[in-house]
Amino acid sequence: MADEIADISSVDALVAAFEKSSYVLDRALATTVFLQLKLGKPLLIEGHAGVGKTDVAKVLSSILGTELIRLQCYEGLDVNSAVYEWNYQKQLLAINMHRESAADADQQQKRIFGPDFLEERPLLRAVRAQQRAPVLLIDEVDRADEEFEAFLLELLSDFQITIPEMGTIKAAHRPFVILTSNRTRELSDALKRRCLYHWIDYPSLEKESKIVRIKLPGIEEELAQQVVRFVHSLRASRLTKSPGVAETLDCIQSLQALGKNHLDEEAAEQVLGTVVKSADDFARLKSEGMSQLL
Amino acid sequence: MNSERIIGFCRYLRANGFTAGLSESIASLEAVRAASPSDLDELRAVLQPAICKSKEEWEKFDDLFHQYWNTHEKPRAKKTRRPPVVGGISAAGLMSLTGLRNASSESSEESKTTTGASLQARLKQVDFSQVPVDQQHLLDALAERLLAQASRRISRRFKVGQKRGRIDLRRTMRASIGCGGYHGKLKYKTRAPKPPPVVILLDVSGSMSLYSFFLLRFAHSLRKAFKRADTFIFSTELADIRGALRLRVLPEALRALSEKATGWASGTKIGLSLSEFNRHHSRLLARNTIFLILSDGWDTGEPEELTRELRAIKEKVRAIIWLNPLLGMPDYSPETRGMKASLPYIDVFAPAHSLESLLDLERVFLRIAR
Repeated sequence: MADEIADISSVDALVAAFEKSSYVLDRALATTVFLQLKLGKPLLIEGHAGVGKTDVAKVLSSILGTELIRLQCYEGLDVNSAVYEWNYQKQLLAINMHRESAADADQQQKRIFGPDFLEERPLLRAVRAQQRAPVLLIDEVDRADEEFEAFLLELLSDFQITIPEMGTIKAAHRPFVILTSNRTRELSDALKRRCLYHWIDYPSLEKESKIVRIKLPGIEEELAQQVVRFVHSLRASRLTKSPGVAETLDCIQSLQALGKNHLDEEAAEQVLGTVVKSADDFARLKSEGMSQLL
Repeated sequence: MNSERIIGFCRYLRANGFTAGLSESIASLEAVRAASPSDLDELRAVLQPAICKSKEEWEKFDDLFHQYWNTHEKPRAKKTRRPPVVGGISAAGLMSLTGLRNASSESSEESKTTTGASLQARLKQVDFSQVPVDQQHLLDALAERLLAQASRRISRRFKVGQKRGRIDLRRTMRASIGCGGYHGKLKYKTRAPKPPPVVILLDVSGSMSLYSFFLLRFAHSLRKAFKRADTFIFSTELADIRGALRLRVLPEALRALSEKATGWASGTKIGLSLSEFNRHHSRLLARNTIFLILSDGWDTGEPEELTRELRAIKEKVRAIIWLNPLLGMPDYSPETRGMKASLPYIDVFAPAHSLESLLDLERVFLRIAR
């Protein structure tokens, strides 16, 4: 796949290239990605869980034939695990080995805070990439603390990272940065200002059917339609956790594994766990019955 | 594409509540130059990611775009969903909503300084609903001062880390360089505890009207102590007053609101208000959030809805605190349906009828926040 770099010179070419990697890209998102490639700005994608935010980055890197560097955010993520860390053991050994040597403290410090002792973490790796610009995926940035967002600012506006002991490292190739967020909290304005923004909503009936066709080739058309309609009516019935596209695909595959080629009430009950992920919703659907959703 | 027209569009969006500033104007010009859109549809696709900064803006964008560029497509019929509920209510809006009251409160200024110590002590304990009219301003001034003090004390506690954490190798290394690599002194990581975010839901229905203003004052003062304090008021529906409370001085309009809250409230639907909150604002809830409900628990809605929504909140936050002014009455017990149904989900159930009871909460907050 990544042997030749796909044509990305226009919005239409991007749509085609993404579709070749089995990702259905609508024109709006294609335009946004196109702008990102052209302007070199980071892209912030927000949307419900399971609508394919992360996949944009994955597919983009395969289309560009470049490395995908991923940083999964979580509460308490700090610079040491996101940007860089010194190899302390090695530093300690080096200090002990050279204790008797004549080198003065100044030189010693320069040496042990040099590149040999530096351990790269995803963000630094993205900035130091030598061959070509990588795709840097900062996943679920809303999970990280607000303090961490502040670290990102320098990276996102100047594509450089400052290490106090070594100085500033500037990216040789601007990485294509994609940030995703589930909106569990509001991101800071400073961060958003530096990014292009795109909101991915749940796909329309036609788009979702197309996604199913592309992701699961050879699926029976009628079954696919039924499940897609079922999931759409689930989303409309205001569950506490609405199913995403990933859940639609899971549901179809489960039905297939059970040897069903038709979604009736009995089958729906069997595979309900693939689309409904909360005990409350589960109980509600069981008691109300699902006949009107099918 | 005419760049002045595009800048004008950004200005138009700004006038319609977008954050679009100078950097968005520049971004949109860059975007148009990079993609050179050939028709309006493409232009829309190019401008939207460059200008929008949130889901709300993203969804409003289409209509505004069509209005500004005057396309043939008719702007969609305005949805009349949740009329005053979401979005910052302007102070002016509240004034007209409640009819700003011009009570005879002008004389309050001069007599402020002559309060004796015994009067202060008495005022601290008196039930808000029992304060004589001529002493209300005294209590108000006292409340402002004491609550501010308590807030400062709370916030100070968050600035000093007390526990010894893990060994900080990085700082240990640094310290050892000065001693020629001798690791004499271990450095520790201490993280100063951070103040948790607070979400406050204040009942302003008729039955609460005697308390609302002081509780609002209380909510306002908490903003200083905690990193974030987001306040909403509710009676039969939820209203977002975060914008108004962000001001340093409590706006006059809010005072009017809480004094005359009966005007727009008949009955209380706590469950419905909570569900409204969960639907639109649940991202304010984090694992360390303290969720504060100030209400007397008189609920005309369905208890099932109330418990369902409380459970949903409970799953997300550190603690739910319910402050009930009626708890200050000696013979009160939580017998109302709503209150009874809620008790299992409440971590702290405390009175909020007098200044002293509010000040006592300082300890509760510190215990939970640690």
